[in-house]
Amino acid sequence: MKLLFFLKRILTKYWLRSRLFYRLTLLILFVISAALVIVPVLSQPVTLRLLMTAPDVPPWNRVMVKAFEAQNPGIRLQIVEGPNATNLIEDLYTSAFLLGDSPYDLINMDVIWTPKFAAAGWLVDLTDEFSQEELSVFSAPDVEGGKYQDRLYRLPIRSDAGMLYYRRDLLEQAGYQPPKTFEELVKISKDLQEKGLVRWGYLWQGRQYEGAAAMFVEVLKGFGAFWVNPDTLEVGLDQPAAIQAVKFLQSTIQEGISPPGVTTYMEEDTRRIFQSGEAAFLRSWPYVWPLANAEGSPIQGKVGIMPMIGAEGNTGGSCLGGWGLGISKTTKHPKEALKAIRFLTSQAPQKEFVLEAGYVPSRKSLFTDPVIVAKYSYYPQFFQVVQKAVLRPPIAQYAQASDILQRYLSAALTNQMTAEQAMQNAARETRLLLEAGRTRRG
Amino acid sequence: MSTTLNPDSLATPAKPRKLTVGTVLFWLAVVAIVVFCLAPILWQVLTSFKVNEDISAIPNVYFPTRFTLDHYIELFTRRPFMRYVFNSALVSVVSTVTCLLIGAPAAYALARLRPLGGRIIQAGILLITLFPGILLLQGLLEIVQAFHLGNRYLSLIIPYTAINLPLTILVMRSFYEQLPRDLEDAARVDGYNTLQMLTKIVMPLTLPALVTTGILTFIFAWNEFIFALTFITEERLKTIPVASAQIGGTSVFEIPYGPIAAATVVGTIPLVLLVLFFQRQIIQGLTAGAVKG
Amino acid sequence: MTATKVNTIQARYRRTGLYLLIPAIAVLLLVFAYPIGRSFWLSLFDQNLGTGLEPVFAGLNNYDRIIGDGRFWQSFWVTTRFTVITVVLELILGMGIALVLNQAFRGRNVVRTIAILPWALPTALIALGWTWIFNDQYGIANDILLRLGLIQEGINWLGDPLTATVALIVADVWKTTPFISILLLAGLQSIPGDLYEAYALEGASAWQSFYRITLPLLMPQVIIAILFRFAQAFGIFDLVQVMTGGGPGGATEVVSLYIYATAMRYLDFGYSAAMVVVTFLLLIVAVVICTVLISRYRSRTRE
Repeated sequence: MKLLFFLKRILTKYWLRSRLFYRLTLLILFVISAALVIVPVLSQPVTLRLLMTAPDVPPWNRVMVKAFEAQNPGIRLQIVEGPNATNLIEDLYTSAFLLGDSPYDLINMDVIWTPKFAAAGWLVDLTDEFSQEELSVFSAPDVEGGKYQDRLYRLPIRSDAGMLYYRRDLLEQAGYQPPKTFEELVKISKDLQEKGLVRWGYLWQGRQYEGAAAMFVEVLKGFGAFWVNPDTLEVGLDQPAAIQAVKFLQSTIQEGISPPGVTTYMEEDTRRIFQSGEAAFLRSWPYVWPLANAEGSPIQGKVGIMPMIGAEGNTGGSCLGGWGLGISKTTKHPKEALKAIRFLTSQAPQKEFVLEAGYVPSRKSLFTDPVIVAKYSYYPQFFQVVQKAVLRPPIAQYAQASDILQRYLSAALTNQMTAEQAMQNAARETRLLLEAGRTRRG
Repeated sequence: MSTTLNPDSLATPAKPRKLTVGTVLFWLAVVAIVVFCLAPILWQVLTSFKVNEDISAIPNVYFPTRFTLDHYIELFTRRPFMRYVFNSALVSVVSTVTCLLIGAPAAYALARLRPLGGRIIQAGILLITLFPGILLLQGLLEIVQAFHLGNRYLSLIIPYTAINLPLTILVMRSFYEQLPRDLEDAARVDGYNTLQMLTKIVMPLTLPALVTTGILTFIFAWNEFIFALTFITEERLKTIPVASAQIGGTSVFEIPYGPIAAATVVGTIPLVLLVLFFQRQIIQGLTAGAVKG
Repeated sequence: MTATKVNTIQARYRRTGLYLLIPAIAVLLLVFAYPIGRSFWLSLFDQNLGTGLEPVFAGLNNYDRIIGDGRFWQSFWVTTRFTVITVVLELILGMGIALVLNQAFRGRNVVRTIAILPWALPTALIALGWTWIFNDQYGIANDILLRLGLIQEGINWLGDPLTATVALIVADVWKTTPFISILLLAGLQSIPGDLYEAYALEGASAWQSFYRITLPLLMPQVIIAILFRFAQAFGIFDLVQVMTGGGPGGATEVVSLYIYATAMRYLDFGYSAAMVVVTFLLLIVAVVICTVLISRYRSRTRE
């Protein structure tokens, strides 16, 4: 402490005695304002920048960036590493656009961001850049997911869809075909549980987060209900079919088919239980497959997949996920950006990318490509699922609508509200949201 | 923590101590305070030097035998962390200086020159010290948009300066009021005008007060989060708090605790030094600001 | 002659005074008055993704939406609960620390320095530290509780609504108790020592003198501390944003987080402006109540 005191005294003394205080301040100010001018000037020529989650960066750098820069010497592709959570990436993109001069030229977009970014006028309209023919090589739902009000803003680079995993071995053992309806799923689950073959029947994601909204879209579809009609902005959450959908989820918990903890589960929680062999059915994404069939997994080779099923008399549907590329309206290099999109979504780089990172492709032919199938034998099956994928409502206010639904869905699942109450509230708030501004604008 | 409310030591300023239950309890309280305040920081420091296996060891390793600088090296090589430090320092220093340059004259005016509407201005200043940043965010965003300040240091310097002005003005005013008037009268007789008097005589005399309020401004600016999060999206312009909060791992389920701990340590060192050197001034500034209000 | 001269000098002073004030006032108007005023104005409009981000006059529709918005009222309740609990805890702890630091003992300066340290450190970074402490697998909080035998298996602190709230409260109390203890310490030091001596001569116990002398004389500081902390805690953002992001499932979402999400994530600017206005008015009410309390208290002690 003595030393500190001494130092402090020297400091204050020095300051006090020197008349320099005033001049020094001026000097500091000058240096700083000089720095303020110089720093922005030091930026470089044609560099295309895009932001993505930290785990995505290494495969992108290894494959995409390398391939692109090798073929396009004049253009650099710079991947900015963001946080792990995708919703944080969405927020970072959003703030960047709101501020005006966005530092990103390309946007790596989750399917649910497209309507929002397009409605806000931040994306370049790509409709006229790509012909029907060019688009027809991609899986159709993925192209659809890149559209907002019939204009194209995003080209798919990576697909993703929800699917139903089932224990092939157990079903065969008990003499069942894979279920075609929810009712069958419930029946088989109960039977397998009673026989003591599994502890739980059906696992799904019930925590209050975007994953639950994706899961619920499939159940809604399975009951012939809808969330929001993107064309008329009509809300269907309080219709009987939608309430039935909630009641179905509630009943899986009440009847002991799903563990009570399912209301707090995310993807990884459900995968761990399924992979330990404790459940017969799981609703999840493609990433589960390689993990479940990995060396040492208790259920290695015992798993089947199929598109999501529906209730009696309805067809089911898988929720579409996936990523695509769009161009920022404020980019100074729109031509180069378009060139980059064409290249990155083309056959060769995407094939290499799929082989390297194990992502699901967006180009139809790659699902059955012999090299890819040699490495990932299950991709042809994925294709069936991806083809049947349904979109979450492509409306501009999706994020807000989804948060409303998540809140009330969670309230119903945890029995804080009845299914009717919850869905009526959710529908009312969603209507208020969608009406704000629309009616008056006429 | 209930030991801190030791009744025997209440209201007994500096009486000679015997080794009683009271004094034992009192020292326990002192120890408790020190542990309470330091333990979380020390744990973070320790984590930043541990090797990864020790970080994720169960049960926890309290006395590691292996130490590493890897997390610091990763911090500075994988990300432009020097830039973040520079950004934080630049923004904090500039807003501190600007705040003093604008605030000190205003405080002097309120203390001595009795301008019209001075009381109303003072009341207004008091009121706005209570506004949380979130109330200002949206309006400021519009200003930032309108003047294209996004991803420029100015978008942070302006709000930081403004938010610290009230405290600066309040503290400085009370210092000016304690200053003997004769001095200024003498200066005026010698023919100094107000500006000269301020720079040549008053400013040097109130240097301690300037240091006090300057430090508080610096601390605030260094720590600010919500504006830095919103108005800066360009990676190389980010400040330490935001950049640290956005450190991502190499996989979805892996959070890089080591580098985060290292970032915490790097980001807090300047403030720890400030507190060590200027503890007295900080206390003075805080109490003057609050009590005068 | 001289009278007018004095007058002109005074007038000149005043004018100079105004000039000196102008930069400060300009900056304050820009950063405080404009955003607040703008929020009042904008709250009467719909400006969101549905209107293509163009303002469309909506009357009081946004306020109507607030009334029926379950999430707003939940976040309001979460904020109020957080504010009340933290402020009370911080007052009690801060008072204890101030009383200890008010004693003369060897090393007091060092302890004082240590005691203001938490306040000075960046909240966002501290929040990262606490997130680590409350980590469900490797966190030291679980480790200590397990070793003490208080729990049988690790708690997923930030994954459960109740424990996440507890974790936030602990972190906030740690961070801001020093601020309160500094304020109270200043108050304690302004209480003359002979007051206590006189009271002690009458045979009062330490508790009595604390209750009869310290507490009443400290009341203004206490109220000021409450007011400051109330405003700060009510607007808390960084701690919650970093530690829980409002989760799990919105259980720790405070008002400022919801406003931030509405503006920066949903781009529902008219609506977020209305929420800013409501929060602003509530703060003003709180300030008025506190001011009335203080002035009442002062006039009573004067009598």
